[in-house]
Amino acid sequence: MITATLNEYLILSGVLFALGFLGVLLRRNTLVIFMSLELMLVASALALVAFSRYNHTLDGNVFVFFILTVAAAEVAVGLAIIVALFRQRRTIQVNELDSLKN
Amino acid sequence: MDFSALQALAASNDWMAIFPEVLLGCLALALLVLEIVLPKSLHSSLPGVALFGVLAILPSQLLSFSVGFIEGDSFNGLLHHSYEGQVMRVFFLLAAVLTCLLGTVSLPRQRVPRTEFYHIVLVVTAAMMLLAQSNHFVMLFVALETVTIGFYILVSYFRGSPASLEAGLKYLVMGALSSAVLLFGIVLLYGVSGNPMLAEHTATGMNFDSLSGFLAAHPHDFLASVGIVLVLSGVAFKIGAFPFQIWVPDVYQGAPTPVTAFLAVGSKAAGFIVLLVLARTFSAYAWLTVPVLTLMAGATLLFGNLAALTQHNVKRLIGLSGVSHAGFLLLGVVAAATVPLGYGAVYFYLFAYLLASYAVFGVMAHVAGPDDADQELAHYAGLYKERPFLALVLAIGLGSLAGIPPLAGFMGKLFIFIATFRAGHYGLLGIAVVSVVISIYYYFSWIRAAFFESWTPPADEASARPAPTPVGLTAGVILGVLAACTVILGCYQGPLGMWLSGR
Repeated sequence: MITATLNEYLILSGVLFALGFLGVLLRRNTLVIFMSLELMLVASALALVAFSRYNHTLDGNVFVFFILTVAAAEVAVGLAIIVALFRQRRTIQVNELDSLKN
Repeated sequence: MDFSALQALAASNDWMAIFPEVLLGCLALALLVLEIVLPKSLHSSLPGVALFGVLAILPSQLLSFSVGFIEGDSFNGLLHHSYEGQVMRVFFLLAAVLTCLLGTVSLPRQRVPRTEFYHIVLVVTAAMMLLAQSNHFVMLFVALETVTIGFYILVSYFRGSPASLEAGLKYLVMGALSSAVLLFGIVLLYGVSGNPMLAEHTATGMNFDSLSGFLAAHPHDFLASVGIVLVLSGVAFKIGAFPFQIWVPDVYQGAPTPVTAFLAVGSKAAGFIVLLVLARTFSAYAWLTVPVLTLMAGATLLFGNLAALTQHNVKRLIGLSGVSHAGFLLLGVVAAATVPLGYGAVYFYLFAYLLASYAVFGVMAHVAGPDDADQELAHYAGLYKERPFLALVLAIGLGSLAGIPPLAGFMGKLFIFIATFRAGHYGLLGIAVVSVVISIYYYFSWIRAAFFESWTPPADEASARPAPTPVGLTAGVILGVLAACTVILGCYQGPLGMWLSGR
């Protein structure tokens, strides 16, 4: 069986995090932005579990539970806001959401 | 099975140490229960229950200064109870009272549910109070997220208004992005400090004391530096420091006025407490944190003030001026790395900012009309002739924000400047003095509108001024107290000033 090293986990997690970050900055659809945000949280969780495994400490594993809970709450509130906004404006493209101007 | 370990852990949980937070949580739940139980005719008393409930918790919080938890840990090191933490608990309770008060002024103009607003404000306050005392990254992250997610709901609370929802979405994306950045930084720090190959590695890398011990042993670790920069960036998003301030004007404009006030004062203060604690934890990396924060402070000061110059909407103006206040506070944080007075200066500045900001926001809540995002400078023309009390409170609040002697804001800025001078950041001090001069310009254009211009009704109906809200008794008394405290705290700092400058 081939086992991955800590560095491989960290590189994967770093790539996932960077993908999520670029997704938030570059994509125009709010739902895709939202998925990218979740990807960033999951990348952090992956790195936590890997560190926890290779450092032989348990704090990281426990923290992942909290992160998942927080992410779930964030999605619940976020989707509610997106739905309410879509009902008002009939769009969720960020470049069309520009009513707040000086 | 052997439960003795669990029992020992449970015994280390000092629930008494967090009784103000527990009381706040109970009050928040009681509000929801009361809304179900009470008949509809009594629902109008619920905001009063929230307001006076928090006022009742305040003295019990003052008691906790004298009990034996100070300078100790509870919950197995998750929380650390310092004097600063207690002072900030009082701060957040005051902010909650004043936010509830503004809610009673602003909410009745909208068709939205009322009770949930106060519920969320109380829950967010409790989370802020825990945040101010957290000593562990898990505690910090969960408390910070409770605050942030609560604010997502509060910012988009006027769900019939596209502006409020749009602000909510922008805050959501920016807030979640900053949380993810902060989280990744925490993960890196945890991973590095637990590395068994390194000397002095620790199994509890998320605890601030253990982490700071590890960092002192490895003051130039690359991964740890990346983690520290990411954590600081995440917090900088929350306080709206340059270059992470892009969300501030839009969100401040779109959010309901009470929420804008809570965001400006409560959320910013929470961010700065976290920043002070983290700067102390990362003190071994001062070679990295001090230049980063110095650059951030200078850029934040200049950007906030220059951008505020061109604003016509008062909510955007106060938002961008809030960015520049974040710059002044960052100055104090930078100075606190070498001069202990820096800590006291930041706390004093926060209190002066609380008093002045809520005075200004209180006036804004009374002048605003049904469209909460539409509050123009022009609407303030002739305020002194029509409503002299509000105009006077506005002038005192704005004067304090601008730092005019003898108001509290002047003393706040003075303390910050003295600390910066003693720390030897002369360039930063120069930028700060220039930005005070710039800020006086836009604050006074607001005061001038209220005192020296008269309102001429425009020809078209569309740009008519919104109908004013009459000042209620409680609101009037509290606004008067805020203005009076701003004047008194400027002339006489008393024991608070002694305590702060003696640190």
